[in-house]
Amino acid sequence: MNEKDLSKIGMGKRYYVFIFLLIGIILLSAVYSVSIGQVNIPFTQSMDIVLHALTNGRIGSLDHVQSESYLNIILQVRMPRVIFALLIGIGLALCGTVMQAVVQNPLADPYILGISSGASLGATFAILVGFGSSAFLSQFGVAFGAFLGAMITSMAVLILSSIGGKATSVKLVLSGVVIGALCSSFASLIIYFANNAEGIKTVTFWSMGSLASASWDKTPILAIVVLLGAALFLFQHRVLNTMLLGDESAITLGINLSAFRKFYMIVTALVTGTMVAYSGMIGFVGLIIPHITRGIFGADHKRLMLGTLLLGGLFMIWADILSRTLIHNVELPIGIITSVIGSPLFIYMIVKRGYNFGG
Amino acid sequence: MELIAKGIDISIGKKEIVKNISILVKKQQFVGLIGPNGCGKSTLLKSIYKSLVPQKGMVFLDDIDVLKSSEKKISQRLGVVGQFNEMSFDLSVQQMVMLGRTPHKKMLESDNKEDFVIVEEALKRTNLLDYKHRGFLSLSGGEKQRVILARTIAQQPKIMVLDEPTNHLDIRYQLEILSCVKNLNIGVLAALHDLEMAAHYCDYLYAIKDGEVYAHGTPDEVLTPATIEALYQIKCQTYTNPVTNGLGFAYGI
Repeated sequence: MNEKDLSKIGMGKRYYVFIFLLIGIILLSAVYSVSIGQVNIPFTQSMDIVLHALTNGRIGSLDHVQSESYLNIILQVRMPRVIFALLIGIGLALCGTVMQAVVQNPLADPYILGISSGASLGATFAILVGFGSSAFLSQFGVAFGAFLGAMITSMAVLILSSIGGKATSVKLVLSGVVIGALCSSFASLIIYFANNAEGIKTVTFWSMGSLASASWDKTPILAIVVLLGAALFLFQHRVLNTMLLGDESAITLGINLSAFRKFYMIVTALVTGTMVAYSGMIGFVGLIIPHITRGIFGADHKRLMLGTLLLGGLFMIWADILSRTLIHNVELPIGIITSVIGSPLFIYMIVKRGYNFGG
Repeated sequence: MELIAKGIDISIGKKEIVKNISILVKKQQFVGLIGPNGCGKSTLLKSIYKSLVPQKGMVFLDDIDVLKSSEKKISQRLGVVGQFNEMSFDLSVQQMVMLGRTPHKKMLESDNKEDFVIVEEALKRTNLLDYKHRGFLSLSGGEKQRVILARTIAQQPKIMVLDEPTNHLDIRYQLEILSCVKNLNIGVLAALHDLEMAAHYCDYLYAIKDGEVYAHGTPDEVLTPATIEALYQIKCQTYTNPVTNGLGFAYGI
C-alpha cells in the first residue's frame, strides 16, 4: 500500500456528489424508517405524509393515505424518533471526531475520555438516590444527572491533565481513563447498595441506550445543542488539522493548542451530556464513524467533518430500524445494535492491511 | 529580517540548561549552532520559536518582541523545521504542505488559488511534485523531512529555524535539504551535527558547550582543532579537503 493515492473522494466534484448522495440516502432511509413498525405503512404513503408535513402541504398529497391513524403514527410517534436518531448520530460522530483530534489518538471517544462514565454515574445517582423532591429535578432527574455528570467529569479530566503544565494528549487520555474508572466504580457502589429492583432495571435499560423516549417536546433542546456544536466544528478545520501535528508543530504554525483543547473539551462534554441525558449510553458510533469516513475522505477535517456528521446520522437511523425490526414485536436497546455492528467493523479495520488511521 | 536572542537563561527543574546565551542572525545569514548532544541547542531553539518560555532574556525579530507577541504573528515571520514529525493520522503530502499556509489565514478563510500556487512552488523546490497525493505516513524519513521543509517554505518565513534537520538522513537528503534552505536566501538558524556540512553551508557559527557559547565566528575561526577537542572531548585534526577545497576533519579518541 506504499503507493496509495490519497486524493480519493477527498477532492473536487466527487466530494460534492458523494455528499448529495449521502443526504439523499438519509432522506430515503428516514422515510423508510417511519413506514415500518408494528403498523406497516406503505412507503409511498409515508413519503406523501412526510413531504406534506415538511413542506406545509405544498408537495405531497394526503388523498391516497388509507387511514387517518397513519398520519398520527408517523407525525407523532415515528418522526420524532427518526429525528432523534439522526441528531444523536450526528452528535456522537461529531464528539468522536473532535475528541480524536484533541487527544491525537484515533481510539478516542467520549468513553475513553471518561465523559460517558461521568454521565452514567450522574444518571445512576438520579435514578437510585435522587436529587430530592423538587418538582423540576424529579421530572428531569435522569437527564439532569447525566448532564451534570458529563460536565463535572470533563472539568475534572481537564484539571487533572493540566496539573504540572500544559494539557497534552497523553495526559488527557490517562486522566480520562482514571476518572472514568473512578466514576464506574462509584456507579457500581450505588447499584450494590441500592435496595430498589425497579431502579436497577431502569439503570440497566438506560445504560444500554434507547431512543424510546423520543418526543417532539424533547427535540428542540437536543437539536439546538447538537446542531450548534456541528456548525461550530464545521468551521474549525484549520485548528483541528494542526492538532493532528501535535503541540510543537502547531505552535510553529501560530496556533496554541492548549487553549483550543479546553474549549473543544467543554463543547463536546456539553453535546455528550445532552445526548446521554436523552438516549442513554450508545457506544461505538463516535469511534467507528470517524474511522470509516477517514477511509473515504481522508483525514483533512475540511472534508472529513461534514461527511462524518452525515454518515453518523445515517448509521443511527439504520441502527434504529434494526433495533425495531430484528426481532418481531420486540424493541432491542439501540446500544446493543451499535456495539454489535461496530466492534467487528472496528476489528476488520484494524486487521485490514494498509489502514493507518487516516486513509 | 534579523533575529536577536539576548541573555537567554533556561532552567528545567533545577537544572540550568541554557546559561546567558546571546545569538544574532543577520539578514539572509546562514547561522549554525554546533555542540555535543545535550548541550542545550534544541532547548535554546525552542525558546526562540515560543515552545518554551525562557526564565531570562529577550528574543527579537527586527523590532517585534517574540516572547510578548502572539504565536500567529511570530509564525507569519518565523518558520521551524523540527525533529518531531510523528502523527497518528494520515494526510496527503499536499494537505500537509497546505498547513504551512495556516499562519496567513483567518479562521474562516478558505484556501485560494494563490495558496495552491505557493504550495505547488514549495513542492517543486523540494522535488516533491510527484508525491503530491501520497500519504505522509507512507513516506521514508528523508521524504517526510522534505515534506516538513516544503510546509515551512509554504509558510513564507523571513527567518527559518532548523533543529537538526538532517538527523538520520542519508548523505543525498542531507545535501538536498541544506542546499534547498541555502537557496531560499532568508535568515537561517540551524542546529547541525555534521561539522563538514556546517563548515560548507554556514556563514557564521556558534559553538555551544554546557549551555554556554564556547566560541563564535566564521567557520574557519570556530572549527579549529582546539575548539573541537574541547567541545566533543575527542582528538581532532583539520585539513583542506583536496577535492572540495572545503574544511575536512579527522577524528580519533
